[in-house]
Amino acid sequence: MNALVQVKFSDMGEGMNEGEIIHYFVGVGDVVSVDQPLVEMQTDKMVAEIPAPAAGTIASIHYKEGDVVTVGNVIMEITTEAESAAPLSEMSNTRLQSASTTIATKKNATTVTNPYNRILAAPYTRKIARELGVDIEQIQGTGPAGRVLDDDVYQFAEQPETNKWTEEQESATQKLPQAEEEIRFAGIRKRIAEKMSYSVQTIPHVTHYDEVDLTHLLEERSVLKEMGESISVAAFFIKAVVICLKEFPIFNAQLEVEKEIIRLLKQYSIGIATHTEAGLMVPVIHDADQKSIRFMDEEMKRLIKKAKAGDLKLADMKQATFTVNNVGPLGGMAATPIINHPETAIMTFYKTKKVPVVTKDDALEIRSVMNVSVTFDHRVMDGAQSIAFTNRFKELIEHPTKLLLELI
Amino acid sequence: MALSKVANKQAVQVGVKELTMIQAINDGLKTMLEEDPKTLLLGEDIGKNGGVFRATDGLQDVFGEKRVIDTPLSEAGFVGTAVGMALNGLKPVVEIQFLGFVYPAFEQIATHVTRMRTRTLGYYSMPMVIRAPYGAGVRSPEIHSDSVEALFVHLPGIKVVCPSTPYDAKGLLLASIADPDPVLFLEPMRLYRGKRQEVPAHDYRIELGKGEIVQQGEDVTIFAWGAMMPIAMEAAELMKEQGISCEVIDLRTLYPLDKAIIADSVQKTGRVVIIHEGHETGGVGSEIVSVIMETSFLYLRAPIEKVTGFDVPVPLFALEHTYLPTTERVSQAIQKVYSF
Repeated sequence: MNALVQVKFSDMGEGMNEGEIIHYFVGVGDVVSVDQPLVEMQTDKMVAEIPAPAAGTIASIHYKEGDVVTVGNVIMEITTEAESAAPLSEMSNTRLQSASTTIATKKNATTVTNPYNRILAAPYTRKIARELGVDIEQIQGTGPAGRVLDDDVYQFAEQPETNKWTEEQESATQKLPQAEEEIRFAGIRKRIAEKMSYSVQTIPHVTHYDEVDLTHLLEERSVLKEMGESISVAAFFIKAVVICLKEFPIFNAQLEVEKEIIRLLKQYSIGIATHTEAGLMVPVIHDADQKSIRFMDEEMKRLIKKAKAGDLKLADMKQATFTVNNVGPLGGMAATPIINHPETAIMTFYKTKKVPVVTKDDALEIRSVMNVSVTFDHRVMDGAQSIAFTNRFKELIEHPTKLLLELI
Repeated sequence: MALSKVANKQAVQVGVKELTMIQAINDGLKTMLEEDPKTLLLGEDIGKNGGVFRATDGLQDVFGEKRVIDTPLSEAGFVGTAVGMALNGLKPVVEIQFLGFVYPAFEQIATHVTRMRTRTLGYYSMPMVIRAPYGAGVRSPEIHSDSVEALFVHLPGIKVVCPSTPYDAKGLLLASIADPDPVLFLEPMRLYRGKRQEVPAHDYRIELGKGEIVQQGEDVTIFAWGAMMPIAMEAAELMKEQGISCEVIDLRTLYPLDKAIIADSVQKTGRVVIIHEGHETGGVGSEIVSVIMETSFLYLRAPIEKVTGFDVPVPLFALEHTYLPTTERVSQAIQKVYSF
């Protein structure tokens, strides 16, 4: 019996709900095997290939390259030949074939009608949502007609922080004055906007500044460079940050307001705020406490390269516990950073400058000094903790030998 | 009485026989006539002739004209007669030749058979069985193919039973005759001479109001009864080849429905196909849907599908196969609920 298998643009998590078709690897009439890549999609954050869910022949393709597809829509259809159903086809091949088309037609018919804009979900799906304490109205369904499926609920429940907040619907009725040029507010830009607004709206931000003398560190770095090891200062910063996080666990934490708990995390995964042409990305160095400075340096460079090329995978961007923001190379003395929700703080490194410094002996010396700031969630901690955290960081970086003491 | 006890003992010794459904029913009637002298049979041509389907074949020779009674062609008359017999302590088993012939007797059933217990505040019961072959598929003329169990399921005061195998036919028939209240006993004539099955020669009873899981499954529950059971099983077998595991339940009693077995299975699978050959509107399938809504709403994963006869009088034999639910229609329904 021949069956028609639909290839859908399924939910990739992280609240992404649309993607652009970049390239088809196959055309109508092509024979494909299971898991063979069919189409390349650009989502808000990454490029993804959609593999064939079944072997068969491409029956139809519903979008052109460059089209934007919403999650849950059928991109193409594959005709499969199910050998196992042979007896059935012997019995009445034609009848069943016509029947399966009827079913398909009926299904399509239901995809358009939802006049009251209700959330569509089977009772069992609603039961799961109820048991998980998830508000089903908040879930973007990926099933036919946007129906919420069991998996949508499970996925939503797993990522409560990123998904539970939904932006207010833009009022489509409001007429805007005619703009000279319109830029589509979508994709990564919109996603950044959502995250930033949410963070600023929910977290009372406080930023504390200090300056750090990098002279010793830069000297040590030059020595290393002469020995053939080219390590960025940022890698040292991250090492120092991880040591500080271990000593001040409130900085490596998440606040769960509804449950009235603050979760102190035992994993140290450092998000690296990275500027790319598409916008701000935050790739993550996972388990930074278990990695050497050299290894982190390599990993950071690799991640940043990937980010700039737009090749980051979802796994590269998940589960940061603390974020650092190295704006030094771009310039700037100070800023008012926004915390990468649901984290509790973000540390920013500014431009290093040579400045005249008055020494203990009242002499003048030219030193390399960098401004740093720690922006924290004032709900979970106070300024004193932030100052202590920064002081400890300062100590480790101004006297890099101290980093040795923390070697495991 | 002494004689019948001896006969019963002999039956036990005979053990198990391979019987068709019609033979199992004959055997059941014989067992009851032997066991209980209050049991007697009434119907058109059931005595000398042995019944239109031979359900009573040979019984008049054994039990005589006073216990196996040929009646005139008057359903209202002999059902009314049976009402009088039951009121006076007998256990009449009435044969209606085809369920479609029950309509003249409907007045007796609706006004007396179903009400006597309530009317007499429980002083009298109505230990009567109305046997009726039902359903299409044997190329009968008009009215002979009806499957109007829903009319009786709707009436309080009468149980509705419908076996699908020789074993169940005898066990349910004996339980129906023993029941103090009236039972409409529907016999799927299409299955009368189908598969043979081992049937114990002795008296055994299957509790009324209990369905049976004929095949365990995980993905979709199929509810059926009577002549639709082979269709349900064939469809389940076809679906197995496509990786869909069906649980098939033979409801066996349509009133009262076995709500526990319905709820339990639906809560397991979350997907349901109901099959009956009676007309769709107001059919027993709708009642099952209602039970599911009441007991298992939160477990449903897909809308419930019914595969039923159409809302037309059952057509004559040239077209009856287009009226009856088929394996193909059931397979499509299963695929539909499975892929919802």
